[in-house]
Amino acid sequence: MENHYAIETQSLGRVYKIRNPGKKENKTLTALEGVDLQIKPGELFGLLGPNGAGKTTLIKILTTLLAPTHGYASVAGYDVSKSPDDVRQRINMVSGGESSGYGLLTVRENLWMFAQFYGIESKEANQRIKTLLEIVGIADRANSRSSNLSTGLRQKMNIVRGFLTDPEILFLDEPTLGLDVGASRDVRSFIRRWMDDDPKRTLLLTTHYMIEADELCDRVAIINKGKVLACGTPASLKQSLQKDAIFHIDLDSPKVLVESVFSILPGVTSVKIHDNENKTIMDLVLDEESALANVIATVTSQGAQIVTLQKREPTLEDVFVKLVGQRMEEVEHADAPAS
Amino acid sequence: MAAWLGWKIESNWTDPFLFTIYSIVKPLAAAMILVVMYGVITNNQFGSPVFAYLFIGNAFYQYVANVMVGVSWAIVDDREHYCTLKYLYVSPISIPYYLMGRGVARVLITTFSVFIIMVVGVAFLHIPFNPAQINWPLFVLSLVIGIIMLAMLGLLLAGVTLRMAQYSFNIGDSVAGALYLFSGAIFPLEVLPAFLRPLGYIMPISYWLELIRRSLVGGVAESFPTFAAISDVNLLLILAALSVLFGVVSVWAWKKFDWEARERGLLDQTNNY
Amino acid sequence: MPMLPPVSKRHTGWRLFLMTVIGRSYPRVVGMQRERSWIFFDTFLPMLSVAAYVFVYRAIKAPEDYVGFVVVGGAMMAYWMNVLWSMASQLYWEKETGNLALYIISPGSMMAILLGMALGGLFATTLRAVGIILLGSLLFQVHFVIASATQLILVFFLTMVSLYGLGMMTASLFLLLSREAWHISNLAQEPIFLISGFYFPIKNFPAWVPMVGSFIPLTLGMDAMRQLAFASGPSLGWISVNIEIMGLIVLSIMFLMGARLLLNYMERLAVREGRLTESRG
Repeated sequence: MENHYAIETQSLGRVYKIRNPGKKENKTLTALEGVDLQIKPGELFGLLGPNGAGKTTLIKILTTLLAPTHGYASVAGYDVSKSPDDVRQRINMVSGGESSGYGLLTVRENLWMFAQFYGIESKEANQRIKTLLEIVGIADRANSRSSNLSTGLRQKMNIVRGFLTDPEILFLDEPTLGLDVGASRDVRSFIRRWMDDDPKRTLLLTTHYMIEADELCDRVAIINKGKVLACGTPASLKQSLQKDAIFHIDLDSPKVLVESVFSILPGVTSVKIHDNENKTIMDLVLDEESALANVIATVTSQGAQIVTLQKREPTLEDVFVKLVGQRMEEVEHADAPAS
Repeated sequence: MAAWLGWKIESNWTDPFLFTIYSIVKPLAAAMILVVMYGVITNNQFGSPVFAYLFIGNAFYQYVANVMVGVSWAIVDDREHYCTLKYLYVSPISIPYYLMGRGVARVLITTFSVFIIMVVGVAFLHIPFNPAQINWPLFVLSLVIGIIMLAMLGLLLAGVTLRMAQYSFNIGDSVAGALYLFSGAIFPLEVLPAFLRPLGYIMPISYWLELIRRSLVGGVAESFPTFAAISDVNLLLILAALSVLFGVVSVWAWKKFDWEARERGLLDQTNNY
Repeated sequence: MPMLPPVSKRHTGWRLFLMTVIGRSYPRVVGMQRERSWIFFDTFLPMLSVAAYVFVYRAIKAPEDYVGFVVVGGAMMAYWMNVLWSMASQLYWEKETGNLALYIISPGSMMAILLGMALGGLFATTLRAVGIILLGSLLFQVHFVIASATQLILVFFLTMVSLYGLGMMTASLFLLLSREAWHISNLAQEPIFLISGFYFPIKNFPAWVPMVGSFIPLTLGMDAMRQLAFASGPSLGWISVNIEIMGLIVLSIMFLMGARLLLNYMERLAVREGRLTESRG
């Protein structure tokens, strides 16, 4: 082993050529650019970013499914481009919404089949399958055909598939995508338990849910448009906003309030206004609290009334807004569907 | 609207490469199998009525394979390959009309490929062809009735396909293969064992192919005794009556199977193993 | 107490290869048992189509051995269809469901995955083919005259090795062709039925046709089988059985090596161009 990182990337980049039939020049799309990450063994590392930010591209590179066009990446100390076989012996991957396996096989048979590809003896594989299905609460469906499972149950089966082989490094790409609140909570608590069981296990998780990154991850990298904008523990990322004053204001406004009116006020770092049901909500980050008076005066001059005003602790969402200038939802709506 | 959507999907075939594969190479190769079989055994006696009988029957059987199978294949295609069947169902279009739309495209493409096969037959294999002796009204009328009949049979098969979600990959092709046997396409029904012949007599396709042969090459049809006792008009009436009968059965079956498929949640089942 | 102990033993090398082969062949063997309707659709219905060609021969008063050729051709056709639709185009479907990515990132080799698919398919298809042969022989009273059982078994074995080798090789190729592959599989039906001589001896073609057709192992395989299993076979054979056996050995080696090379090439290319994961990814 050349280094002590479980995962390391240096100036990692990926440019896709988009075939453009009929035209001579192919277009290119930069999915990932200059990504530097160092993840230590035992870390539960989160990549937080909107859809299309490059999270899946990064996972594909690290799991040897995609070659980088620039830079270097290693997993478990092995170069993903030069030694994919060494990497593959040590990893596994689960993606949200995947439809892997064969619908005609039962849950147990599908899992057994994948265990075979990892050289795990049938007896041991079946024992592990039984235990894991019990842990995620689908033991009663072990003999159901996987084609008969609901999305949530299927995703639990996929999660079991990833953990079954006890990989040194596990990649989870949006593991709770499309799951209901209860199932997401089950999956998150299972992930945490698995990490707590063995300090050598490393897990890289991508998500676009703030709460998932905040609750679960030891460290988080915020990624947008292929670039890592910040990296640190959730607490340290939020701490970068600690000197700012963050307010959440519910308004009753007869007309649409325009953000630019507020963002030019002195002391306002960022302002986001959006409607929620019948209320107008303003999320405000100020350099210092004294700037609030100006904001309130402007709100009143626009004919709006303040219903509630709360000062609150910063969240990862605020960190994202500060870094990108938009809320994650807005980035997703503004961009074309993820490629 | 529904038919238009079906047409748009099938007319992907306007790609010249695909058109060549499906309309020329495949049907011509299939015809050539029979030609070689016949040639090997008879020492290339292509002038015989037996050869014209099987060559024309096989050429027009393309309509059976394409229209009937095409309409039902749409179910497999949409369910297994594009996984769009469920979306079609929740959209306001009518599935039978949509299937028929896909059938219309098939008819046009098949017409072209039948034409090519016939040209090859006339040019190289001594198939008799004299425009003055062709009974055009009978030909056109039979062709139209036949195509409608095949589309209805396609709907029947589509219903069966929908219902048999677990195993539908080859069913259309298999049924077409089976009907090839019982409809006098490539050999007169007399060649079949006696107990199998009634199957040929209840299939409208048998009468349809006979009418096509009579209208195109009257002399050839007369060499075979199968329907010799029945006049053209009576044959047409039998074809029309059987078509109506099968049409009614098809619509009834489609409704029944469609309902059952929904009840059992088969609309989005796939079996790729 | 940990919720799950670490994996105690992970096999590598040839044991892992073997386990991967068995793992991947499992869904094919079991999948078929689970859906008994294949007995009808894959044995009875193809039988009807075989019967159609039998009756053509009867209608033109062909010698009875030709009826046997059609029955054997019908059984062999089941293998060809299996190779086309469940081998050649399979990796493409595996990609669409997301399985391919999981196969690639697993330590088990892709060659083992392909071999598992082939063996599973071969097993499932053999049941169909035996059904067609039995049913056809009974219905049409096919009279087999086996010249050499050893050679017949050898020819069948080599035909299957090279045929499924061809399937394994084209699987990688078709993956790169994506949707076009479906059309190429379709193109490889009737024209191949014709030039490989599924229903008649290929001796009657000008020599270049069987030579081109020999690229498909069934051409040589069926010609040899006809010579070894029918009384009139030897007089209708294209070239001697021994040469055909040699040809099949060459094809087997060529296709299996080709499968390995193309698989590596496909993986390198697909990793470079990002084509290993489902289109939506």
